[in-house]
Amino acid sequence: MKRLLLITAFLPTVLYAQNPVIRDQFAADPTARVFNGKVYLFPSHDILQPKPMPQGMRENWFCMEDYHVFSSDDLIDWTDHGVIINQKEVPWGNPTAYSMWAPDCVERNGKYYFYFPDAPKSGMGFGIGVAIADKPEGPYKPVANNIEGVNGIDPCVLQASDGNAYLFWGAGRCAKLKDNMIEIADDTPKEKVKWGEREFEMMGVNCLKGLPSRQAEGPFAFEYNGNYYLTYPYVRTNTEVLGYAMSKNPMGPYEYKGLIMAEHADSCWTNHHSIINFKGQWYLFYHHNDYSPNDDKRRSVRIEKLYFNPDGTIKEVKPTMRGVGVNNALSRIDVDRYNTASKDVNTDFVDSSDTFKGWFAGLKQKGSYIVYNDVNFADVKNRAYAIATVRANKNTKFSIREKNAKGKVIAEFNVTVVTEGRFRRDYSGQWLAVTAPLKYIPSGVTDLCIVADQDAIDVDAVEFKNRIEYYSNATGASSQPDNDGFVRRWNVLEPIPLDINTNILFTDSYLAQILGDPKVQALIKTVPNDRQQVKYDSKTTLTWHKIESNFYNVKLFRFAEQYGTKIYGVIFPVTTVIECDDDMQGVRLMAGSNSASKWYLNGEEILTMSGDRRMVRDDCASKSITLRKGTNVLSGLIINGPGMSDFCVRFIDKNGNTVKNFKVK
Amino acid sequence: MARKHLLPIFAALAVSATAQTGQPYIHDPSTLAECEGKYYTFGTGGGGLISDDGGWTWHGGAERPGGGAAPDVLKIGDRYLVAYSATGGGLGGGHYGKILTMWNKTLDPKSPDFKYSVAKEVAASDGVEDCDAIDAGLLYDEQNNRLFVSYGTYFGNIRIIELDPVTAARKSGAKPVDVAIDCEASDILLVDGWYYLLGTHGTCCDGVNSTYNIVVGRSKDIYGPYLDNLGRDMKQGGGKMVVNTYGKAVGAGHFGRFVVDKGVEVMSCHFEADFERSGRSVLSILPLTWKDGWPKAGKKVSNGVFSIQSERRGYALELATDFVRIQQERQAWWNAKPDDPVSELPLQKLSDMESTWPKGAAPARLSDYMLRPNQYWQIEAVDGKGGYLGNPYFKITIKGTTRTLAAGPDMDVIVAENYTGDDTQLWRIEQCTDGTYRLMPKRLAGTTSDNTKYVLYSIADSTPILKEWDNGDNAKWNLVAEEK
Repeated sequence: MKRLLLITAFLPTVLYAQNPVIRDQFAADPTARVFNGKVYLFPSHDILQPKPMPQGMRENWFCMEDYHVFSSDDLIDWTDHGVIINQKEVPWGNPTAYSMWAPDCVERNGKYYFYFPDAPKSGMGFGIGVAIADKPEGPYKPVANNIEGVNGIDPCVLQASDGNAYLFWGAGRCAKLKDNMIEIADDTPKEKVKWGEREFEMMGVNCLKGLPSRQAEGPFAFEYNGNYYLTYPYVRTNTEVLGYAMSKNPMGPYEYKGLIMAEHADSCWTNHHSIINFKGQWYLFYHHNDYSPNDDKRRSVRIEKLYFNPDGTIKEVKPTMRGVGVNNALSRIDVDRYNTASKDVNTDFVDSSDTFKGWFAGLKQKGSYIVYNDVNFADVKNRAYAIATVRANKNTKFSIREKNAKGKVIAEFNVTVVTEGRFRRDYSGQWLAVTAPLKYIPSGVTDLCIVADQDAIDVDAVEFKNRIEYYSNATGASSQPDNDGFVRRWNVLEPIPLDINTNILFTDSYLAQILGDPKVQALIKTVPNDRQQVKYDSKTTLTWHKIESNFYNVKLFRFAEQYGTKIYGVIFPVTTVIECDDDMQGVRLMAGSNSASKWYLNGEEILTMSGDRRMVRDDCASKSITLRKGTNVLSGLIINGPGMSDFCVRFIDKNGNTVKNFKVK
Repeated sequence: MARKHLLPIFAALAVSATAQTGQPYIHDPSTLAECEGKYYTFGTGGGGLISDDGGWTWHGGAERPGGGAAPDVLKIGDRYLVAYSATGGGLGGGHYGKILTMWNKTLDPKSPDFKYSVAKEVAASDGVEDCDAIDAGLLYDEQNNRLFVSYGTYFGNIRIIELDPVTAARKSGAKPVDVAIDCEASDILLVDGWYYLLGTHGTCCDGVNSTYNIVVGRSKDIYGPYLDNLGRDMKQGGGKMVVNTYGKAVGAGHFGRFVVDKGVEVMSCHFEADFERSGRSVLSILPLTWKDGWPKAGKKVSNGVFSIQSERRGYALELATDFVRIQQERQAWWNAKPDDPVSELPLQKLSDMESTWPKGAAPARLSDYMLRPNQYWQIEAVDGKGGYLGNPYFKITIKGTTRTLAAGPDMDVIVAENYTGDDTQLWRIEQCTDGTYRLMPKRLAGTTSDNTKYVLYSIADSTPILKEWDNGDNAKWNLVAEEK
């Protein structure tokens, strides 16, 4: 049991919404169950056939050696709880048969019973075994022997409202289980069945006798509104469909009602399914060979919503790429699993040598679009931005719109794949992350439409991201220095554009000339009001913003992004009011700035930080100064070429201790 | 004709205090990696440098696909892991960066096994957030089998994220953590239970005006906070200087650590501009010293005259000869008055004692340092004999003579009468992490391959022999410059 215990320590894997839902491995024959308000998924686990193949293994055939269990609260994020049983751990099973086919799991009296087929150590065909756990994610302990008298595959256990548990398996055979859940009830009927020339004695009742059931397998039975549903894959013409029959009794007789899902549009021969009600909505789990288009023995789990007609019959379900679940706009959205698209759009693998990397949607011309439904913008804040993973062969444009190709523009992207100039780069044909500000933020859940606005573009995913709130609008009459004494409340003027592109030229005399310019000095002569405008020169009107930094440092770069005409090559005038209860003598201003800066107290220059500077806490100290009782005006001029401009400022006393006994206005 | 011009230039370069010889031109070099006796480093743009002579002479020829900026390389098990960044860096590429990893069984492009695996993206920046995912620095914690990569530039934060040491993909569920601001070219070390974050501050790419410099902070936790010697967080700009200007080269960047032996380490970096080489960006390999738990670029040995003093006792290495007394006017100190005039006495001259020296090879021994001619050693780089990480081989002769320190028979240390250029007369001199030096003959007497184990060793206070390096005081020496 050591192995089973270890496995529960596996790190869970977070997966994504859309079909298929398990995106890092193959998973087929999905049996979903709702336990304790969560959905647990018990699929079989397709793998590639081992090389060399064990003797007797059929070539290009199914190959499964273990089971994983997955869980989800929302049908979007699935946690992989790891392997729960490997073929080597089945006491009665052949450890190298690779025949761990479709399983089921039910809860009874607080225990979880996992039913699975396997090839027995000796003899022909399949047996059905049980493993028992105290929790749905395991650890599961296999019962020593398989269920006596049951030969076949694809177990499904129906816990009927009559209090009994019924085991269905194979081509629709059904028998009652004892209360111990691991043995067939003593009163189970037997019948003789002819298969070719040979005759077998079979337990239980064939519930599909006389119904459309050619090559039927994978029965899934459930009860709803007083009806029992026996649903099952069978071959209607060439490949499997999902059909169903209804009855008033668990063991029949059943009446055939029609299709739940037609044949797969491509060549995937099998389908296998389960049906659950989760939070009031019915869902169909089924499979398709999404990640393995040339080999239909490696399959993946999909989910669609399922609806009933008033008479209890089931509406036919169409397979989709989109699947179910509402995406949070702040998570990666693989829009290549779209609902609808313009006719020209194609879908292909991002990397055909590793299909688990997923798909992209190819929008072939101007006006091409894809629509992806159910994206929730509730958590998207003001000034959020959009990121898209795209590929193009030349510079182009596209947009994200709401609902349809003519819908309101959420974000417009310029895709620059070739940049000219000194640092020419060519990203044509390569995947790039491109960003764009949001022009409009939808409220709540809506549909996205991605539209090619210029030329062809391949789209892999989109995501929305909130910006960090580096600062807020200052509120209240005053604030305090923070715990480390840093002054966080400042009036910051929109940056003055300059023609500079390096920080190395910031010599003392350069700063004296540029920052000492009377036009610049005039800006910090008086304390402005919030939103006060100043005319810097004939072309430039700038606005003051009174902010409270959310960090010890003031992120001027982000301020310039929001309010500036330029973010690099600028001067930032800043000013604030320090109000003291008493005179404080022998104080020094401690500052760090990116890049150079000059600092003034009550109109007098107290510190020049010249050169190519990074913002370092306590980088420079001013000369000894006096903070007067009452109002002091502290101002700074920060100049920056390249790099993310910011500054931090505090005061220390004669002994080097942080000064905090003042107000900032 | 061109050759004639080049030769004297090479001769001058052999004594360069700063850079490697050959064509060590590179920007943003990775950590050094050894593969089948050769050393490799990869730089921005694609290729990299190779050294075939143990780490002294470098030339182009290393191969790395993917282009982009500032790769790193690390040997894990029997494979080499290369991390690099394909985009980002601001220059036309915006700040949309990606860190990718790939494996190779060998770094030798001529090997049949030379094949990089398909590169995997392990981290990215979206172009808006406070990060530019370039400049990878790898750390493998062998003891706990954990792998980390640090990355980022001045555009926001330096970040660390954990990778899977088998696949070098991002570890399942791992999220990047911010550890520093205003840095680039970061690297992480794990030494004696401390994690060290090295970053490069300053401005690159402006030739002799570049202010690039390497700083360090440390933490008990891989995810920080990384504090400097003042306790200042690197997220507030903190950092203790490791190296900025060295010799006649400025703008140190892109730190890499390479452990030669226990107690002997080197660091690699580039200097933005070497004044001795037209201000070009060069690879430099410097001794790495550790003091009070902080790394700092050490001092390379350079040509000069030194007394070689044992760390064990403080005795000086000398040619074993008769002690020749210096004649001095008798003047007992207790008879001298405080206001008697003083004058400088001459030191003993070579000519005062050389005639008493034995013919032929003589033993080396250790004795009180008395400023005597048989205790002064001329240390001089030798051209054309290759080298090791950071330096060429040196010959060590008694100043003003041809008497040469050499590996003698039976692990004895001898002083040969003449310098022959034999490998037993060539010495590898490396600074140890504690600031002392170790001296290792290139070859032991009677052997045919290079020696990498046996060093000058005090087997007794007064007796030097050759013995395996053990990182103890017996194996360590101080080079004290001649009094003039």
